[in-house]
Amino acid sequence: MSDVRADTPNAVGPVLSVAGLQFRYPGAVDDALAGLDLRVAAGEFVALVGANGSGKSTLARILGGLERPGGAAHAAACGHDLLTEAGRLAARRDVGVLFQDPENQLVAQCVEEDVAFGLENLAWPTARIRERVDGMLARFWLTELRRREPHLLSGGQKQRTALAGVLAVPRRVLVLDEPTAMLDPAGRREVLEAVDGLRHEGLAVVYVTQEMDEAAGADRVVALERGVVTYDGPVRGLFGDHERLRRLGLGLPPAGELALALGERGRELPGPPLTLDELVLGLEQVG
Amino acid sequence: MSLACEAVAFSYEEAREKLTALRDVTFSVPAGGSLALLGASGAGKSTLLQVVKGLDEVESGAVLLDGLAPGHSGYALARRQTGLVFQSAELQLFAASAREDVAFGPRRLGWDEARVAEAVDEALDLVGLPPALFAERHPYALSGGERRRLALAGVLAMKPRLLLLDEPFVSLDPRTRQDLVMVLERLRASGVTVVLATHDIDLAWALCDEHLVLERGEVAAAGAWDFGPSGGLLAGGRLREPFLVQLWRRLGRDAASAPRTVAAAAEALA
Repeated sequence: MSDVRADTPNAVGPVLSVAGLQFRYPGAVDDALAGLDLRVAAGEFVALVGANGSGKSTLARILGGLERPGGAAHAAACGHDLLTEAGRLAARRDVGVLFQDPENQLVAQCVEEDVAFGLENLAWPTARIRERVDGMLARFWLTELRRREPHLLSGGQKQRTALAGVLAVPRRVLVLDEPTAMLDPAGRREVLEAVDGLRHEGLAVVYVTQEMDEAAGADRVVALERGVVTYDGPVRGLFGDHERLRRLGLGLPPAGELALALGERGRELPGPPLTLDELVLGLEQVG
Repeated sequence: MSLACEAVAFSYEEAREKLTALRDVTFSVPAGGSLALLGASGAGKSTLLQVVKGLDEVESGAVLLDGLAPGHSGYALARRQTGLVFQSAELQLFAASAREDVAFGPRRLGWDEARVAEAVDEALDLVGLPPALFAERHPYALSGGERRRLALAGVLAMKPRLLLLDEPFVSLDPRTRQDLVMVLERLRASGVTVVLATHDIDLAWALCDEHLVLERGEVAAAGAWDFGPSGGLLAGGRLREPFLVQLWRRLGRDAASAPRTVAAAAEALA
């Protein structure tokens, strides 16, 4: 199995660290990010949630070094200063970003060329590229598809190819911006499994999602509201606070929604249950 | 407006190669009914919507609107009363204000300005963007969810009797999704026929009377929802059952009579 993480023997402290981060789109009335603070440690799996327009995608792009912050007291990714052009360029090498639309992330003629693309840009020797690409293809179940043209792939296969390409370059942080939003259920499952396989390898993952059941699996959840962090803590802390969820324009996973509706009708379940299994268990316990 | 497709076929020309996108697609939706259009990416859902709207001409077969065949004198009107909301429709907003963007369609229908203004206000209200607050805003000063709803308003302003929606829920936050569900429920209650192409099986189950599963351009299942062991719905294995159907199964209840909404499920279990 190919390790996706860059070697970072001296890594201490957070891999992502921003304070007072500000950003406004040209012509916009309000700040997209309005003094946002966030720290992510190596190896953490953080879900980033929030209503449409709360700043999630803007933050994702800035953390990936793809957008210049409007200002910040401090903004660093893997030790690179995101406030400088040189820092952003360096951050782009350590932080991989996967976007939502499977249709416009693939650039090459076939799967393996696409996975190799980033390494060729970094001018890796051919033998090393081949070895690395083979490892990535195996890891994301793409070996048999290696010669396939991108337009013949399913949505899930396209996203896995894009993910393999992003991670072919050894990374310390992976930012995923709603990677399953446009996929059918099977494609969604494929990508979730691929992402889940990245846990516990020291790679920090920031996972932007509107799917509450996907957020429920994270180590920690960060909720944005109008460009600032309004909740940062354990998943159950957020899903147990209905007032806050409502204010944020968020909801519960389906199991939690049903438990809430049951509670309103006088049948309280322990929890809140976040999965079908937990819900069924809760219903059995309460009898 | 009722919709019926009879043996519809359609193919794309690409690099002198003929790629069949739809083959022998037959189904119908009664006036005021609602159909969930399901299937894997690339199965032909978007193509089918475009063919029904008339943006692509069928290669063979026919699309009947209100029971009328193409060529009938009333057909052109029925087609104008068919609204299609594209996937990521917010990318097609172009005017300098929300009002102007929504007014574009009605003006093209040749309506007078008073009627246009009324239709615009009504459509903005319907999608939860009250004109007093939103009509003069620039589309780019709206959030992603607001823009999506603005694009929907642009179609609704033309008073469609048949509404075709292509993945309207993608990337919407839970509250906006819920708002959109309510808009669609209101439209359904007013008699608008709805065809909803979506990967969100839970919302499809909540909103639609019947379903149609496409697989590589062909109908794999159609009609009443079918969760039997032979798996009409699960044919092809790329779909999953709605959450409430799974729950009903796990509780040892009849999956076919699973509730459509969380509220109905809570009523049944409380």
